[in-house]
Amino acid sequence: MPYSSFDCLIVERRGPVGWLINNRPDRLNAMSAQMRDEFAIAWKELDADPEVRVIVHTGNGRAFQTGVDVTEIATDGLGMERYRDSVADFDLHFTAWHQQVWKPVITAVNGICAGGGFHWVADADIVIAASDAQFFDPHVSVGQVVAIEAIGLLRKMPVEAVMRMAFVGRYERLSAARAYELGMISQIVDPPDRLQDEAQALAEKIAKNSPAAMRATKRALWGALETGLTDACRAGAAELVSMWGHPDQVEGPLAFAEGREPRWHLTPQLGERE
Amino acid sequence: MSTYETLIVERRGAVGWLEFNRPEVANAMNSVMLAELERAWAELDADPDVRVIVNTGAGNAFQTGLDVVELSRNPEALREQSRRTKRAELRLTAWHNGVWKPVIAAVNGVCAGGGLHFVADADIVIASANATFLDPHVSIGQVTAYEAIALVRKSPMEAIMRMALTGRHERLSAARAFELGILSQVVDPPERLRDEAQGLAERIAQNSPSAMRATKRALWGALELGLTDACRAGAAEIVSMWGHPDQEEGPLAFVERREPRWQPLEPAGPTATPTNRSEG
Repeated sequence: MPYSSFDCLIVERRGPVGWLINNRPDRLNAMSAQMRDEFAIAWKELDADPEVRVIVHTGNGRAFQTGVDVTEIATDGLGMERYRDSVADFDLHFTAWHQQVWKPVITAVNGICAGGGFHWVADADIVIAASDAQFFDPHVSVGQVVAIEAIGLLRKMPVEAVMRMAFVGRYERLSAARAYELGMISQIVDPPDRLQDEAQALAEKIAKNSPAAMRATKRALWGALETGLTDACRAGAAELVSMWGHPDQVEGPLAFAEGREPRWHLTPQLGERE
Repeated sequence: MSTYETLIVERRGAVGWLEFNRPEVANAMNSVMLAELERAWAELDADPDVRVIVNTGAGNAFQTGLDVVELSRNPEALREQSRRTKRAELRLTAWHNGVWKPVIAAVNGVCAGGGLHFVADADIVIASANATFLDPHVSIGQVTAYEAIALVRKSPMEAIMRMALTGRHERLSAARAFELGILSQVVDPPERLRDEAQGLAERIAQNSPSAMRATKRALWGALELGLTDACRAGAAEIVSMWGHPDQEEGPLAFVERREPRWQPLEPAGPTATPTNRSEG
C-alpha cells in the first residue's frame, strides 16, 4: 500500500512492521506545524495498511524528539496561539493514542527525548531505548506547564519519578538505565546503533500474534486507564467475549498442535466499535 | 517565620524548611504538632520568597505517626483529629493543605505508619541511606487507609500491600524504595541528606513558579480522574499559562544565557480549580 510523501517523517514498511521515523535531525526532530499535520496522516495510513501488524516509531539523528519547534514558535508571529483551540479542547492528533491506532506500537528512543517528546513514550504500548538515550522535561524551565505527557506517564510508572522530572526541568536528566529500572522502558539496546534491528526483531515477534486478539487486548488495557478497577474489568470482559467464536481462536490452538505458524484471520479494517 | 513548639520552620535562600522537631519521641504527632502543621504549611505557602519546600525530621526518625502515648493518656486532645479523620479532612500534609509549591520529602530515618502521609503526599522523595519504611497500623489493630491509598496510585502496589499487611514485623529499606521508584535518590553518607535536599530544591527553584504551580495541579489532579478526563483538565492548565510573562522571559533568558527573572506567584493562581478533595 503506497503511503503519502512526507517532508518531516519517513513512513515505510519492513515486512509486517510499519516504521514511522521522525526526520528533522538538524532540529533534534522538534515538531513543526507541518510535522504535526504529517503525524496525523502517517498514523492513519499505517493503521489502514493491512500488511502492517505492528508499528515502530523512532527518530533519525542524535535525538528521538524534543517537543514543539520553539524556533518556529518564536519566529512565525503566531507562537503557541496557533494551537490554542486544539490544546484547550484536547483535540490532538499526533500520537497513536490520539489517532486511535489499535495496532501495537513500539517507541524506540534513539537519543534525547525531551519535553513534548514524552508524548510518544506515554502513548506507546512498548518502549525500548538505546543505551545512550536521555530523558528530561524542560517545560517549567522556560515557563511552560507540563501536563498531558506526564499525565499519561503517571498511569504507567512510579509517579515520583515523573513528578521529579516535571519539577527539576532542564537541570537533571534521567538515564536509559534508570528508566529501565523504573519500568518506563522494557529494554536497553547496547550498542545504540543496534536499536532499529532490535526494534524490528521485537516487532516481528509481536507480529506473530493474532491481530484481532491484540486489538481487543489493547483496547481493554488502555480503556482500563480511564476507569476504576471493577468498571475496567467489566469493560475488559466485553473485549474478551468479543473474540469468542473468532476464527483465530480455532486457528491458534490448531497451528500449535500441528507445529506450524498460525494463519491469522485478516480482519477487515474496523471502525471504532464504540 | 513565626515560632513553633514542635516544628522548626525556616527559610534558606529560596527554600522553605519544615522540620518535625520532637526527636525524643521519634517526631510523633501530638495535638500541638497537628495544629502547628496546618499553620506551618500555610505560612510557607504564603511566603513569596519560598519557591520550594523541604520536609524532614530532627534526630534519628523522620516521622512515626500519631503520638500513641498522648492518644492513650489524653484521648480528648486528639478528638478533633478523630473527627477530621472520619470526614477525610486531614490537615497534616502539603496536599491536605492545598500547597501548590513543589514539596520534597527528605526522609532522614525511620518513617512509620502515619509518617507515610508525608511520603505519599510529597512531589519528590529522597532519603538517607539508613532510612526505613514500615506501616505498623495493623499490628496495633488500626486500619491503614489514606497513606497507602495515595501510595498505591504512585508506586508498584504489591510493595505497598506487603508493607500494610506485614505491619511492624518487616521494614522496607531506602535501597528497595529507590528500586521501586517510591523515591528518586538515596543519600550516602546519611549526614549529607540536608545538603542534597537543599541542592535539589535550589535547582527546582530556578524554574517558573507559575508554571510549576499549574503543573502540580495538573499532575495531582490526574490522580483523581480517568486518563482522557485528566488530559482534558491538564489541557486547561497548559492554556492557563499562555500569555503569562514567564513564557516570554524563559526563552529570552535562555538565549541571553542568564537566569530568568520569574514573576512572583499571584495569590489566586492562574485559572483552574484545585482538585484537592479537601476543598469540597
